[in-house]
Amino acid sequence: MRNLGLWLRWSWRDIRSRWIQVAAIALVIALGSGTYAGLGSVARWRKASADASFEVVGFHDVEVRLTAGSFVEQGTLLDVLGQLPTGVIAGGEERLRIDIQVDASTDTQSILVPGLLIGVPVAQGGPSIDRLRPTAGRGLAAGDAGRAVAVIERNFAEYYELPKAGTIGISGNRTLEYVGQVSSPEYFIVTPDDGAGYFLHANFVAVFASLETTQELAGFPALVNDLVVRVPDGEAAEPAAAVIEEAFSVWLPDVGVDVIPRDDHLVYSSIYADIDNDQQLYNLFAVLVFFGAIAAAFNLTTRLVEAQRREIGIAMALGVPPRRIAVRPLLVGLQIAVLGVVFGIGVGVALSVGMKPLLERLLPLPIWQTDFKPGLFAGAAAIGVLVPFLATVVPVWRAVRVRPIEAIKTAHLARKVRVPWRRRRPDLGNTFRRLPFRNLFRATRRTVLTAFGIAAAIAVAAGLLGMIDSFMKTLDIGDEEITAGIEDRMLVELNWVYPETAAEVASVVDSSVVGIAETSLQLPGRLSAGDTGFDVLIGITDFGTTRWLPTVVEGSAAGDRAGVLISRKAAADLSVGVGDTVTLGHPVRTGVLSFSLAQTEVEVLGIHRHPYRFALYMDDSQAEMMGLAGMVNQVSVTPAEGRTIDDVKRELFGVEAVSSVQPALVAADTLRGIFSDFVGVFRAIEFVVFLLALVIAFNSASLNLDERARDHATMFAFGVRVRTALRMAMVEGAMLGLMATALGLVAGYGIVHWFVTGVATETAPDFGLIVAISPQSLALVFLFGVAAVALAPIFTLRKMRRMDVPGTLRVME
Amino acid sequence: MIELAGVSKVFGEGAAEVRALEDVDLKVASGEFVVVLGPSGSGKTTLLNLIGALDSPTDGTIVVGGTDISRASRKRLFEFRRNTVSFIFQSFNIFPGLTAAENVRFGRDASGRGEGPGVDEILASVGLAGRDDSFPHELSGGEQQRVAIARALATGNPVMLADEPTGELDFQTGVQILELLQEQAAEGKAVLVVTHNREISRIADRVVELSGGRINRDGPPANGRAELCELHW
Repeated sequence: MRNLGLWLRWSWRDIRSRWIQVAAIALVIALGSGTYAGLGSVARWRKASADASFEVVGFHDVEVRLTAGSFVEQGTLLDVLGQLPTGVIAGGEERLRIDIQVDASTDTQSILVPGLLIGVPVAQGGPSIDRLRPTAGRGLAAGDAGRAVAVIERNFAEYYELPKAGTIGISGNRTLEYVGQVSSPEYFIVTPDDGAGYFLHANFVAVFASLETTQELAGFPALVNDLVVRVPDGEAAEPAAAVIEEAFSVWLPDVGVDVIPRDDHLVYSSIYADIDNDQQLYNLFAVLVFFGAIAAAFNLTTRLVEAQRREIGIAMALGVPPRRIAVRPLLVGLQIAVLGVVFGIGVGVALSVGMKPLLERLLPLPIWQTDFKPGLFAGAAAIGVLVPFLATVVPVWRAVRVRPIEAIKTAHLARKVRVPWRRRRPDLGNTFRRLPFRNLFRATRRTVLTAFGIAAAIAVAAGLLGMIDSFMKTLDIGDEEITAGIEDRMLVELNWVYPETAAEVASVVDSSVVGIAETSLQLPGRLSAGDTGFDVLIGITDFGTTRWLPTVVEGSAAGDRAGVLISRKAAADLSVGVGDTVTLGHPVRTGVLSFSLAQTEVEVLGIHRHPYRFALYMDDSQAEMMGLAGMVNQVSVTPAEGRTIDDVKRELFGVEAVSSVQPALVAADTLRGIFSDFVGVFRAIEFVVFLLALVIAFNSASLNLDERARDHATMFAFGVRVRTALRMAMVEGAMLGLMATALGLVAGYGIVHWFVTGVATETAPDFGLIVAISPQSLALVFLFGVAAVALAPIFTLRKMRRMDVPGTLRVME
Repeated sequence: MIELAGVSKVFGEGAAEVRALEDVDLKVASGEFVVVLGPSGSGKTTLLNLIGALDSPTDGTIVVGGTDISRASRKRLFEFRRNTVSFIFQSFNIFPGLTAAENVRFGRDASGRGEGPGVDEILASVGLAGRDDSFPHELSGGEQQRVAIARALATGNPVMLADEPTGELDFQTGVQILELLQEQAAEGKAVLVVTHNREISRIADRVVELSGGRINRDGPPANGRAELCELHW
């Protein structure tokens, strides 16, 4: 093209004269595309990180667990593996797993929890399958074989802020020196074997020692009860598991085994299952932020180009072909696009770097890969490049279709104001109060696009805050139902079921450290109706006397009618109500130490307020249904007058029949702690969206100032003070912010509702989330959405004060 | 009403220095209709900007309505423009987002004067009765300039400064505008009109001719004061 150099120089001058606005538009595109790439990558990061983490620690492909109480001689399990055809497995290691009680108390806190002592081979410096990675202190070494030396699982250790090495007491009044804290793939998320819940690291600890040490401590010399197996690289675990199970049925027919392929491992499966569920949420935020940014960028770029309308008209009047006229604004659009891509890479990289510590805190895997995903970014960047082009093409196309004489009119003469409701006879109030409203509505499309951009950012912020509020509100309700106003309620779990009058129970109830004591029975069960079912914890207690029955919101717990109280979430998931019949799967005692499973049709007596789906209650008059009339395995206590929770823990932990003593809220507190880590990720997203809203608001204010330069100069010529003009701009900004915030809040509430009724039901099905947005969150969103947009014009004050009034008033633009 | 003494205005410095006005002395009394005439670059707009306190002189003093605005503070100059002068521009510069009536109302609100004729009356006085609700894009060029004059009238300020008020208008409309400005002078305002159109100077009480930043001539029109109907361009 001839004179390309001229066009490039001209467009470069355009950029330089408006470099702040150009950079701000590019930043808007960058925030949108970079955030899209970042949030859209979370699932890939999590999957890649989980894959790499499980691989680097050599996570087992199959576990063979002997039934409770069963043991075999060391080597026996490996011998069975030796019978398998070549190539089915790559290796195996025998282990010994023993239930223990652990006293990890420090000078400042009593820590008495149930746990698992796992004996592992250490000849090679620790197990080669399910390797233990030291996170503090050291790991197990070959020299630790047979010594009273162990390492403890890191989630538990970090929760209680234990020193990197120390001493713990275990059942039978023995002491173990722990030399370090380790990350174990079986406890990336701590969940006991009974699947009682996840993130239970406050109430369960895995301790690892040499196999020899564990055999000696357990009193089971040269015995094992567990086997972990690896298959050759690239082979699937399920076929190998089937072959292994078959082999055990042939070579060890008298030993009960549970063969668990890795996909069925509680922790392994939950880590992967959550990834796609959670990603729905991230994708929603990514799309919203991207959409908001693109809408704003389109609007702002269009306005930037429309400022050249008159020059376009002059060029047309001079006979310049439209395609050449389009070169200059298109070059501006191209430069914005290029800047946007460059900034966007920066934003994407910053997000990937910034989110890594947040994700690590949320789930401390050994390896976290949060590398910037150029492929994902490229998709967003392509749109981010296209938008400025479209944003320049559209106004140029419109401009070249206007008659040149119209195009070269000074802008204020050409601008048409469509304010149809103004046809009424006016009540002429002060024009300084009227102008902000007029300015807002005289360019409706522009106002709407700007509002949409800001509203999208506000929606994300409101949605995030609402999700946090919903979680917290639900947890609070759960706390209320658990404590029933008695904050120091503690739960004492017994190691077996005992008659209520048994000495073991009395040793708890009558203890001098105990104030209130109420016995109850808690059993695992399953509730179903039709094809829908889920696990529950059956709490059997005297409805008439207990202090801790949840609030019944429908139906009644009164009387001795047979039936169950279920949670609102349970009722909703099963689509049942009061009076309906459900099927309860429950254990039935068949002998002193044996249970079978039964299914019983029961009536729903009432629906309670407790948010946890698994919380199911029956009156103790129905314990006979389970063959457990008069039996208990749990005692709810409070500390006696003058005693503390720690006093109770310490005193009762020494009672042989007691398996754990914990504050009733320990599980909820752990969830709160987990959630507060999750909130860190939310805060990072909130920062980005608030920044985006600010940049959009600033850029809009800046463009407003340019577009209304003549109006402002006229006002100043008439002696109107700069602060008056600024005040009008701020009022206009406040109204725009109000519109955008209202839109954003509605959309944000929709996000929360969708999350609670959609995503959360898959991610956390046991948690009956309640939709809530606190007044504080509303105020924060409102304050930011309105105040930030209203205050944005302040950044143009300097430009306003330094305006060349005479020069602006002249005809030339 | 308007008194300039030894006023100079220099833009830039060194090799880029431009002396827009050089040692200008000028007096304009209330009720005078003065035309400042000169070709492009003669300094006439600069002169208007100085009198209207949109700019400050490099040298000399300017007293308007008893106020020395040569070295006044920024705050004082804003006050001066609110209470003493009102502008009429070549390109009208009325607010596109306000109706005719609201534009006139703006003038009143800017000056803070609550008393005086109503907006309807002012619009009628400039020949725009019934056009209160019209937006600028619905008005012709002449009508827009009438709105601008009405806005200036609404301020009630004693000095009216017009920069090429007929520059974008056809002859007939331009004459109508000049008639309105003459009426304001007849009512006691000091009206200063800047133009390059020599024909317009024929209806002035005085003509001040600028060239190269200096006043070449200051006196009645060369061939005597003409009537509006005698104008032709």
